[in-house]
Amino acid sequence: MDAFTSLLYGFSIALEPINLFYVFIGVFAGTIIGMLPGLGPISALALMIPITFGMAPSSGLILMAGVYYGAIFGGSTSSILLNAPGVAGTVATSFDGYPMAQQGKAGKALAIAAYASFIGGTVSIIGLMLIAPALSKVAVSFGPAEYFALMILGLTAVVSLSDKSLVKGLMAAVFGMMVSIMGMDLQTGTERYTFGTIELLDGIDFLIVALGIFALAEVFYMLLKGGRQNTSQRNVIGSLRLTRSEVKEMAAPVGRSSVLGFFTGVLPGAGATIGSFLGYSLEKRIAKDADTFGKGNIKGVAAPEAANNAACGGSFVPLLTLGVPGSGTTAVLLGALLVMGVTPGPMLMEQRPDVFWGVIASMYIGNLFLLVLNLPLIPLIAKVLDTPRPILLALILIFCMVGVFGLNFSRYDLLFLLGFGLIGLAMRLYGFPAAPLILGMILGALMEESMRRALQISGGDWGVFIDKPISLTLLLLAALSLGLPLIKRAFKWGKTRRLSQQP
Amino acid sequence: MTRLCLTALKRLSVLSLTAVALAGTLVTTSAAADEWQPTRPVSYIAPANPGGGWDTLIRTTANVIRKEGLADQNFAAINIPGGGGAVAWAQIARDSRNDHMLFAASPPIILVPLAGTSRFNHRDFQPVARLITDYSIVLVKADSPYQTANELFEAIRENPGLSVAGGSAAGSMDHISIAGAAAAYGLNAASVNYIAFSGGGEAMTALLGGHVAAVITGAGEASSQLQGGQLRALAVSSPERIAGSLEHVPTYLEQDIDYTFDIWRGIMAPKDMSPAAVSYYENLYQRMMETDSWKEATARLGWLDAYQTSDEFGEFLDAQLEQFSSVLSDLGMLR
Amino acid sequence: MTRLHANQTLGLILALFSLGYLWMAFAIPSFPLPRPVDSDAFPKALGLSFFVLSVFLFFERPETPPATDKVAFEGTWWQRPTMQVIATSLAIIVYAFALQPLGFVVASVALGFGLSCLYGYQRWVVSMIVSFSVVVSLYLTMTKALGIYLPTGILPF
Repeated sequence: MDAFTSLLYGFSIALEPINLFYVFIGVFAGTIIGMLPGLGPISALALMIPITFGMAPSSGLILMAGVYYGAIFGGSTSSILLNAPGVAGTVATSFDGYPMAQQGKAGKALAIAAYASFIGGTVSIIGLMLIAPALSKVAVSFGPAEYFALMILGLTAVVSLSDKSLVKGLMAAVFGMMVSIMGMDLQTGTERYTFGTIELLDGIDFLIVALGIFALAEVFYMLLKGGRQNTSQRNVIGSLRLTRSEVKEMAAPVGRSSVLGFFTGVLPGAGATIGSFLGYSLEKRIAKDADTFGKGNIKGVAAPEAANNAACGGSFVPLLTLGVPGSGTTAVLLGALLVMGVTPGPMLMEQRPDVFWGVIASMYIGNLFLLVLNLPLIPLIAKVLDTPRPILLALILIFCMVGVFGLNFSRYDLLFLLGFGLIGLAMRLYGFPAAPLILGMILGALMEESMRRALQISGGDWGVFIDKPISLTLLLLAALSLGLPLIKRAFKWGKTRRLSQQP
Repeated sequence: MTRLCLTALKRLSVLSLTAVALAGTLVTTSAAADEWQPTRPVSYIAPANPGGGWDTLIRTTANVIRKEGLADQNFAAINIPGGGGAVAWAQIARDSRNDHMLFAASPPIILVPLAGTSRFNHRDFQPVARLITDYSIVLVKADSPYQTANELFEAIRENPGLSVAGGSAAGSMDHISIAGAAAAYGLNAASVNYIAFSGGGEAMTALLGGHVAAVITGAGEASSQLQGGQLRALAVSSPERIAGSLEHVPTYLEQDIDYTFDIWRGIMAPKDMSPAAVSYYENLYQRMMETDSWKEATARLGWLDAYQTSDEFGEFLDAQLEQFSSVLSDLGMLR
Repeated sequence: MTRLHANQTLGLILALFSLGYLWMAFAIPSFPLPRPVDSDAFPKALGLSFFVLSVFLFFERPETPPATDKVAFEGTWWQRPTMQVIATSLAIIVYAFALQPLGFVVASVALGFGLSCLYGYQRWVVSMIVSFSVVVSLYLTMTKALGIYLPTGILPF
């Protein structure tokens, strides 16, 4: 039991009072940063680098890792309460979390998010502890061709994310991809759809689109539909308690999404956002009650929350075992480690076991802190909904604007936010689903890039996508998941309903 | 709460440091007392988001200047990201007489305008001082057949499909660096099959997985990768070998390829800054680079001092422009 | 009925959009070096898909017409729901351009206060206090704790 003794050693470091203190501060600051819409963990971490200068490397990483997973943990709060995703990874949580809050079950939604996050986080730490070195091989085995196949598989989720009209769902997805490729093309340096402005050279940030389509559009929609309603209307927070049947119902989705999210997180470039979407659409696809997804289904909150927290833990695999950052956030963490004189990579476990095992052990503690910290706070935080509506709407707007302005300090971004808010409103009014747009936005550019990279490496030979076993498998899975609804329907027509539950 | 005790700690160290530094700086400042001095906080611009190379330079130098008490006014770090720097440059160029504005610069200030995505190039700004440099390095997997840069380039000559990955867009720094080296070897610069990844990390993963044949990246970034023993460095673009962990990596020059490539970083200012102000800042940076705090910071960040005065820096930039435009025109990418 | 139904109108508008998008896709310059798939291929494919989908949309029967549960409305013209959306949009535009000259704190407090009045909140003191405290605490978090620069504008800090 080598991992066990190492873990004990890790705990001996993580339990030092000063490190306990850092874990606490880290997850606490992370939760707050995550809750504020738009303000993500990246800039917070980048700005913390100077603070960690004087610290022991293990303490520094413990603190910064805490901010990172704390932000993902806390990001669900504003998704659920305000429909304004706090960080990119929690966009999918708003699909069902916000409807739940609207139905007076905010407390329950937040509690589910907290439990699911905790479990997702814990599963990923166990994975990180036991199979990290082996997993690093998985991470590097994904080349451009494999990423392309993974993106295709992800895109098949559009079918399950479009509720009534498949055509409208597909249109939303295509529009999302159109937005995602705006800016300078990486492969050639060519400008596309920038209209000659430098402000669009980097494209439009994902969070601007998400906040516009969800939060701002929601505000507009409430203004349109609610008109000038009486201010005395109060929302109910509801109980936090879950019934036994609810726990039972969520157990399997949380388990599946944790594993799925962890593996997505391990892949550089994929990460929490894609993980949460994959978890959500998988659950929706295999659920009996798929039609209640998007209307406040508890599994629709549990699955993406488990997945994004698991992905966050997973992203530490390439960072710690290969020294390769899989995302912007882990890139900043890598930078910080280098500054502290620690070189992550295959030798880290031997050279600096204090860092490797200390951080892993601290994550167990941090996750526990997050749960203990968040659960009692839920009734307090959910009080936000008690704010008189006019003020609440105005505050949501301010939070979105601040978050968006803080991304690039550009006034044009505020105008883009408005633009997407109006587009989101129009989509709502005419029955276009928003989720496929977001999915297209996340996957579109990645798909194009990886396809073109793969073809350029292969010299234009399209065979690369089916020659490689992983890529072939993923493409077959994609085909299967497109065919599955048809097969499912055929079974339903057959007679038994029980068969149709099988994934 | 940590913030509080940390800042308290910092204050303490600042106090003690300034006390020590005070004696030294008093002499110099009094000598220059009648010369130009900033009268308000200096806008200290990183044309990118927090966390990148420019931002690190800005925040580190601002810290050292404050810690060592080199200037009476605060150097306030401001991030203006967008367009690979173009958004910030456009704003700075509009304010051309400002004596209280400085920004971090590196090769993109030459490359981005050449690629046609910025109206402003280095000639629209006033060079203040070059501070540091990094070099680029070519890596292959440890089990790769190529032992030297010559072998790699020879293989590219035979098989132009051989892929070299980098962490930035086509036509930007990594691409220019490897294409220029290939041209110096005697290949057509365009014969390098450069694959652009969205970051050095992703390019490195592709190399580790055997999806590409080689990777071109910054030497500072690579030193950590090399320690794992999974990679081998074929060449570094410095004029002489870099001391420290990269000591065993040969330069291009050693391998009879007449080629060097600097990933320099320096400070520039609006075009019409008064000469007195320029020389004030020039001196400030020169003094800054002699301080202990600076030496400590560069050691930690793996930076190599490469100070140049305003005039030298200006000439260097013109030479860079020539080097880059010749590579870009070989690539057919000059616009 | 000679009038187009909702999907037909939408289909037409979106088809026009896709044609414009395609027109721009054809204007994307090609890369000087040979690329198996150049920058223009993906946009062309997207534009074409969007066009085809809008044709499909044109022929799709609209679902139950969008619920027109008109809320009984009373109040002056500027309190109309549509006006509120327009006014909010204008407020955002003004905010975007006022942020730099006025500074973050002043502009945001004005926005928060103004919007909550617009939405019909009448306890001005409360809304002023709330806007002010939220904005200032955000400002302090961003600038002091995280070291992010926000425009100071007319205030000295």
